[in-house]
Parts: sequence; structure tokens; C-alpha cells
Amino acid sequence: MTPSHPALGTLRETLRPYGDVRRRNASAWLPPVGRLRRNMRRYDDTDEVDMVVIGCGAGGATLTQRLAHAGWHVVCLEAGPFWDPDTDWVSDEAGSHHLYWNEPRVVGGDHPVPLGANNSGRGVGGSMVHFAGYTPRLHPSDFHTKSLDGVGADWPITYDDLKPYYTRIERELPVAGQYWPWGDPHPHPHGPHPVGGNGQVMLDGCAALGIEARVGPVAITSGRFGNRPHCVYRGFCLQGCKVDAKASPLITHVPDAITHGAEIRDGSMATYIETEGGRRATGVHYVRGGRPRFQRARAVAVAGYSIETPRLLLNSAIANDHDQVGRYVMVQGAPQTAGRFADEIRMYKAPPPEVSTEAFYETDPGRPYQRGFAVQTVSPLPITWAEHVTAQGHWGTDLRERMRDYVHWAVLGSLCEFLPQPDNRVTLSPDESDRNGMPVARFDHSRCANDDQLMAASQQVMEDILRAAGATELMTIERYAHLVGGCRMAATPHDGVVDADLRVFGYDNLFITDGSVLPTQGSANPALTIMALADRAADRLTRGEVPRP
Amino acid sequence: MIPARTARTARLAAEAKATRKRPKRIADRAHTWDPATAGVVLARLGPRPPLGYFSPTEEAAARPLLAHLLATWHDEADIPVLSFIDERLASGEGDGWRHAGLPEDGPAWRRSLAALDADASLRHGRTFAELGHGEQHRLLRHIQDLGSHDWYGMPAARVWSLWTRYACAAYYSHPHSWDETGYGGPAYPQGYLRLGRGTREPWEAPR
Repeated sequence: MTPSHPALGTLRETLRPYGDVRRRNASAWLPPVGRLRRNMRRYDDTDEVDMVVIGCGAGGATLTQRLAHAGWHVVCLEAGPFWDPDTDWVSDEAGSHHLYWNEPRVVGGDHPVPLGANNSGRGVGGSMVHFAGYTPRLHPSDFHTKSLDGVGADWPITYDDLKPYYTRIERELPVAGQYWPWGDPHPHPHGPHPVGGNGQVMLDGCAALGIEARVGPVAITSGRFGNRPHCVYRGFCLQGCKVDAKASPLITHVPDAITHGAEIRDGSMATYIETEGGRRATGVHYVRGGRPRFQRARAVAVAGYSIETPRLLLNSAIANDHDQVGRYVMVQGAPQTAGRFADEIRMYKAPPPEVSTEAFYETDPGRPYQRGFAVQTVSPLPITWAEHVTAQGHWGTDLRERMRDYVHWAVLGSLCEFLPQPDNRVTLSPDESDRNGMPVARFDHSRCANDDQLMAASQQVMEDILRAAGATELMTIERYAHLVGGCRMAATPHDGVVDADLRVFGYDNLFITDGSVLPTQGSANPALTIMALADRAADRLTRGEVPRP
Repeated sequence: MIPARTARTARLAAEAKATRKRPKRIADRAHTWDPATAGVVLARLGPRPPLGYFSPTEEAAARPLLAHLLATWHDEADIPVLSFIDERLASGEGDGWRHAGLPEDGPAWRRSLAALDADASLRHGRTFAELGHGEQHRLLRHIQDLGSHDWYGMPAARVWSLWTRYACAAYYSHPHSWDETGYGGPAYPQGYLRLGRGTREPWEAPR
């Protein structure tokens, strides 16, 4: 798989002119999105637009931009606000609470998963506004884990189907990092960032153990990209990037969408998809400014992510003939190990996503478990660090002592590929509604034996790395990261909700273009894959390879 | 070309360096932050509104509870943790999820504080606030040790995590706590320049 000339590939990619990127998506070269928004085209509810997209995150915004660019009339409904990074975002943990989806949700099961800040966004840009910035690809093996390893599921598409879209999106974000030796080896369009203390610890530890590790891949400009400046290493990737260096659809796809006539309608909470004859969607009911409204449309794409997309479909009582909606929701096991060092690490400097390794990603026949995990730097800020310390059972004087030592700690996190399970699912709460009267979502989650083994194995590796880098004390906690599945793509309607073109089985004009369509998740952060899938679906629609609704 | 330093400029530079004051507190650097961030952070140093969510009985239990969780008895900096939590609960700002079997965060706080008083009076015949320091500490340790077992109709570990989550978010959002931890604070538009093990910005004190 290794190409003969990684160095040449890297050189070619970093020296590449931006012409085709700019023709495909000029977002980085356009005026600030706040200014573009003032002249944004507005549609009437009575206009039958070509597509109404629900949700303006990784999947929804990418689809909106691609369709608008191809001349479609598109309205994108977003429940949250249209952000102005200058005034709405701050370099502060507690002051960034409004970036998360904070509406009521219930979590249950044997291993309940916290939502909100952990994995759910709100507003234009979606959860990519506060995602760390890691943008690895899935490995080719991820697309057929069932036939390869006997676990998980086979996708109705292969890695090669998605590869060109990975490359396109990587150039549009753009992704910075060293040449990637794992999965399908590939270079990145921007060079790697310098590493801070935490990244250095991980590189030191991995080098001592002979584990391959690399800087990146992160969707953070390393050098100027259009009007977007270089990262300033202030460390607040998870609080929204005020610098405009870290990618989110708000700056990577929405500007171009607006200049091509798309309307991003913020503050619009979709509550019900109207259909006729069980085959066609005719529009979307939503609430804006307290008033119920209805947008007519020739086609509908749902991109509300793994909790809200199933919730909307279940509330609309559609697409669920085979009881697949809301099932196979996945999170990654993300144990986090901290190590104390004699020298100052000061992990709050530099982006939290710095260094990662995928050396343990694939199934190792010598191990008792299937599939694997990735290890990455995480670098929590003080409040999140305090959560780590208290999760370890410390409180009172113990807690304060460890907090006083903050600058001496380095933190690694792993992403374990938890397997899809039918009972890890989203359902509607029978007796609880939100302020719009829509039933609240409940998400039940339990781990299987393979999941537990991966958690333990990755903890061992992280502890080894930190010890090899010189750590004198270790603290590991269990947590979960990311969210995918819930309306998975499959070859037949008995196994999933959408087909390989992300069209809902049985419908001519209803699509799902977000992370909920992933049948498996690998050990990769999902943002890049979600964007690539939406790009592919849009490409096939606009080329006419899927009949235009 | 840089001219060679004269003895005089070298002496002046050394004097200036010796008399240059390090800012005592991270909050003193607010002039280097963007206005939105400075507004949000400095507001935490300002006057606090009266409590609006907790009843006097709940307040009486919550104060010693938070003092134990955060060991704040001897602190010079008086970080208004209870006031921050009260304000958050009064505004109804949730975290976007709650455990099945537990109510929303606000009512869960009320229930847990009532349970704290009930447990204290069962063991000692007094409210939690009236217990001695050691008795309070032992009772809290007992609740922590219950783990996932039931405590007054709630899984003890969930209550513990609710308490510590809110207490830490309040305490460590205050800029005076950053002086304690050595955290450099907001750094936009300035950014951080000195990255890597063992390095620090000129204004960061060694730890």
C-alpha cells in the first residue's frame, strides 16, 4: 500500500496551486461570513425549493454548499444561532457553554454517555465549531469489518468510493500534518504544526518505545489559506476558533453557499417532516421565533446528527418500516490517561490536537479482541482537567493539590472502536417534551466484551507511553467521545435506513447526510468522513447519477 | 546591524529588568484579551446578585458541602462558588443531558441537599450544617464510598458527580483560581509563542 515516494507526494501536495479548490469552494477567499449574510438570498415558506437541509453542521453545510454551487435552490434550517466569532465566542471554558446542544435529553443503559459539551453542537457550523480539529480518514478495512474480522458491519461502499472526496475536503479545510503512514497512506495539504509540551511528551514516549507517531492530522491552517490566518496556538480549539484558523463549516462551506444563493435560516427548529403517500417528502414543519412554520421543498435532507436525526424521523413516524431508525448508535471508548512530569508541560498552549498514532488501529491476530484504537494528545483546560481529577475520586485538599500542579501534567486520550449494537439506540421519551412540545430523545448505551478489552488495552499503551516519556505518577479515567450511527447506510432496508447514496429506503426525495449514516466508526474522529460522505452524495445528485427529485 | 551595547544601556536594561513587575494575577492581563472574553471573565470578579434558586435551608447545607469538596476553609481568595451555581441553576442552563432515574440538575441539587440533611439527622440528630468538621467529612466520604449504590433514592455516584461537576466548573472558571494552577488564561489575539516542555512565556511564573 505504501506509495513509492512519500516525500514527493508531500511536496506535490503542499506546493499544489489552489485554483481548483477555489473554483469548487471559494469560502476562504470571500469576505467575512457576517458581511455575506447581510445580502443573503431569502426564500418564502411557500417557495418550493429544490432542497431543504435540516442542520448546518459537517454534513448539512457541506451538502448545502455543493448543491447551491451547482445551481440548486437550497434552504438550510439550523436550530441554533448564526455565530459571529468576534462577539459570540470567547477564550474561556465556562463562557462557551452556549456552543453545545443543551436541550433536555435523557441518557440510560449500563454505560450512559454524557452528551452536550462532549459531542453535540448547536448553531451554524454544528459541533465542528467546538471539535478538537483532528481529521483522520477511516482505513480501507473499516468499510468491511464484517467480512474481514467477523464483527461490525460491511458498508455498501468501499474506501475507494470515498477516497476522492476525502482528498477534496482535506484541501478545502485544509488539513495540516505529516505524511500519514497508516490505512491508505497519504500526504496532507498543509505542513505539520509545531508541537507544544503535551505533543512533545507523546513523541518522546513513542520514540522511546518504538511506536510510530505523527504530528496531525488537524483541520487547522498552518500558514495562510485565502483570508484565513495562521493558528496563534492559544489552545481554545474546543471553545470555537476566534482566529478562523481551525475549520468549521461556518467558515469553510457556508460563505460559498451564501454567495451561490443558499439561505441559512438560523433559529429554526425542525419538528416534523411532511410526506405524502409514504414515498415523497413535501416539506418540513419547523418553529422559528415561537411561530410554527412550514417550508415547502422538492426534496429534504436531514443532517441533525445521531440523536436529533433519529428523533426527527421517529417524531415524523417515517422511514421506520424495519425498526432500524435510532439503532446502532456508536460512541468511541475514550479513556484518558494523565502523567505528571518534573518539568513544566503547560498543555493549555498549542491546539489540543497535536500528535496521534494509528499503530494499534487494525485487528492484531495476537490479541484476544477484534479491531483496535488510536492514541492522541488531548490537553484539557482547567475545568475539564478538574473533571479528570475528580473522576479519579479526588476531592477537597487532594483535588486542590493536583490542580495546583496543573502545568506539570500531560494528557493522552485514546479512541477505541466500539462495535455497533442494535440496542444502543435513540428512542422518544414517552412522557417528556421540550419547549416546542416535541418528545425528548433518550439514548441508551451499553458496552460489549470487545469494547471493554479495547478500553483496557489502550489504557495500557497510554500508560506505557507516558512512563517512557518520564511520567512519575499516572491517572486514568474512563470516558466516551464522538457519536455516529443511528440511521446507518446498508445494502437493504432490512439492515439500515439509507442506501449508498444516502437516500432513505423507499423514498424518492428524502436523504440523510450526517454522521448517523455510518455503519461502523473505526478509531478515527468522524468529522472528515461525515463531510466526505455528504460531498459524495451531493456529487452524485448534481451529476445526475442519482435521479434528481 | 545591531550596534554593540554600551555599558550604560546594559546597566539600564539590567535595572529595568530587576524592577519590572510580573503581573500578580492573570486577571491583570485582561487588557491583552479581546473585549468579548474580557467581558465574560471580568464579570466573575464583579458584585454578585442575591441567591435566587437555593432556599435558606438548602444554602445552609450547600455551603459546608462545597467547602469540603473544594477545601476552601483557609483561602484568601473568596471565590463565590455557591453564587455561581445558584445563578446557573436559576437560569435553567442545563448540560444537555441527564441520567435516566434522576431529575434535571436543579431539582437533583434540591433533592440531594435535602438528603444530606436527612442523612445527617439520621446519624447525628442534627442538620448537615450543624455537624462538626470531622463528622461532615466522614459523612461525605461515606456517600462517595457508596459508589453506584442507592443513596436516598439516587445512585450515590451520580449525585457525587453532579456535586463535583458543578463545584469544579464554578471554582475553576474564576480567574483567581488560575493564579493557583499556573494556567496562562485567555491568549487571544496575542497567542502563545513559547511551546514545548520546560518553556514559558515571559509573563508566566515558574512553578
